[in-house]
Amino acid sequence: GLRVLKSNTFQPISGLATRGYLASIAGQPGGQSTGVLAAHGEPNRCGLHTSSALCWERPTGPRKFLTHNQTVFPPTPFGEQPRPAFVCHMKKNIKYSPSKMWYVACLVRGLRIDDAINQLKFVHKKGSVAARETLEEAKELAVKEHNVEFASNLWVSESFVGKGMIIRGYRRHARRRFGKVEYKYCHYFVTLEEGDPPEHYYPFRRPRTPQELLEEWMEEQRRRTIIKSL
Amino acid sequence: AARITSSLSRLTLFTPPSYVCLTPHSRSYYTPKDPNYKYFRPNFAFKRKHYNPKFKKDRWLKVTKVELPEIDTKDDVDKMTPDEIRAKMKEKGIQPTRPWQEKPIVISSTAGTFEPYVPPEGDGKLSTTSKAGAKQKFQFLEKKGKSMMAIRKIRQYDEDFDPKDFAEEAQKIYIDTHKALADFDKVRLHQTVTERAYPIVTHQAHRSTIRWHFLGSLEPPRVVHARCTDVITTDNIFAQITVRFHTKQILAVYDRFGRLQHGSEVVARDVLEYVVFEKHIANTYGIWRIHDKIIPDWMPPRQPTLKTYKIEEIKEEEEATPSDKESKDGVAAELEKPSISVAHA
Repeated sequence: GLRVLKSNTFQPISGLATRGYLASIAGQPGGQSTGVLAAHGEPNRCGLHTSSALCWERPTGPRKFLTHNQTVFPPTPFGEQPRPAFVCHMKKNIKYSPSKMWYVACLVRGLRIDDAINQLKFVHKKGSVAARETLEEAKELAVKEHNVEFASNLWVSESFVGKGMIIRGYRRHARRRFGKVEYKYCHYFVTLEEGDPPEHYYPFRRPRTPQELLEEWMEEQRRRTIIKSL
Repeated sequence: AARITSSLSRLTLFTPPSYVCLTPHSRSYYTPKDPNYKYFRPNFAFKRKHYNPKFKKDRWLKVTKVELPEIDTKDDVDKMTPDEIRAKMKEKGIQPTRPWQEKPIVISSTAGTFEPYVPPEGDGKLSTTSKAGAKQKFQFLEKKGKSMMAIRKIRQYDEDFDPKDFAEEAQKIYIDTHKALADFDKVRLHQTVTERAYPIVTHQAHRSTIRWHFLGSLEPPRVVHARCTDVITTDNIFAQITVRFHTKQILAVYDRFGRLQHGSEVVARDVLEYVVFEKHIANTYGIWRIHDKIIPDWMPPRQPTLKTYKIEEIKEEEEATPSDKESKDGVAAELEKPSISVAHA
């Protein structure tokens, strides 16, 4: 009920609690004084919080995934292969069951970004819309913030689903019986990497070469033994 | 029974009476009830809907309706106007908070440059030792100019102020700032850069590695402009001094993944800059800090970045800021990077 209402407010709340309604009040006593006429340039910025400014609302939902976007790697030494760029993106609280969303996530793994978006256009599932939006947003972010030169040079390296909140309801059946109804939410996570995708995303699924098949057969033959023999 | 009759009808020439409708079984599409027939045999193969729509409402009443929360991720509170936020809060029944906290406001820097210096065209292109360069020398700080008055004002509060000494000090602050930016030492940066300039200087610095080296100055740093402004009260005076630097520097910027994004670690470049330093002279603990940089129109464009990018179309509204022009990483927006463009003859 009320908790659900509060969860409507966006995170983080703690940063906003210090900023009041007016953009100009930014003073902090002591220490480093802050310039009031600071060049933030956001005239309509408002702090919106449901609880009183004194209490801190615990952030909910997935938070760690996007921290991967902030890691800074040291410059590649001379002679080594340059590190491919990656961008992590997610969409929270999609009104769809995680087990059903899993199918959509699996479809997209290991594809190039353009192929993935095009395939999702023709998937007749509710979750495909959310997945497609996430991919398109991630593509834009990669170019804007993560120094990716060509937007189409990306492939989906990670695509998975997380369980979101579940709201429980109930329904009645015949003969005084009741059943529970679950309204499920899920989170969808995607990592795009720059470059060409590998030929086989799942290494165990790749077809074996003739040499490998021969070796396997040879090993099997050698493993044969007559039990309880000398 | 219906199924048997339908299968029978398929096998034999038996046709049902005309008042019974025998639609073909279909699992993939729904066949609605044909009103022309009195007895309409329902399609049990179509499992997505209940075969008898007569009791639909009763079935719907069995399930208790639960109001699902609106988790609109499209609802960006940052972009909503105060009126919209108020309306949303009313909808949800949330009371507006009262800002009981009262915090003191401290004004420690101005919002911009007061009467900015206009560097003359052709500055830095000719050497002062040549004949043409000597002709070009400008009167720096005439006896009765505004800059001289400003310096006199500064001397009221700070007796030992000398522009020549200040120029050397300014260069030290300049070098300190760049080193602090390369190390991303926030404490030192706050001491060498004003609050107004801090977000511009550290724009996207946290997600890149900056390597900067100062090789030497080609010309000694020179104070070219000075102004004093007062904020709110006439006693609250801020002094802004523009210093001209002509130096040789090395700058290499690597992106998040360690790939070279801008500049080079090997090739040095000549940099001509006009940096504005500010000090709150009415405050006894005021310090000189970098406040702004003046980029004249005649300055040639910066070194192009190593990667290609798309130029976004500028919207006709005033929302588009200069940084929107390039959809690339905001290298163009960083103010404190030396303008590595002036190639000295």
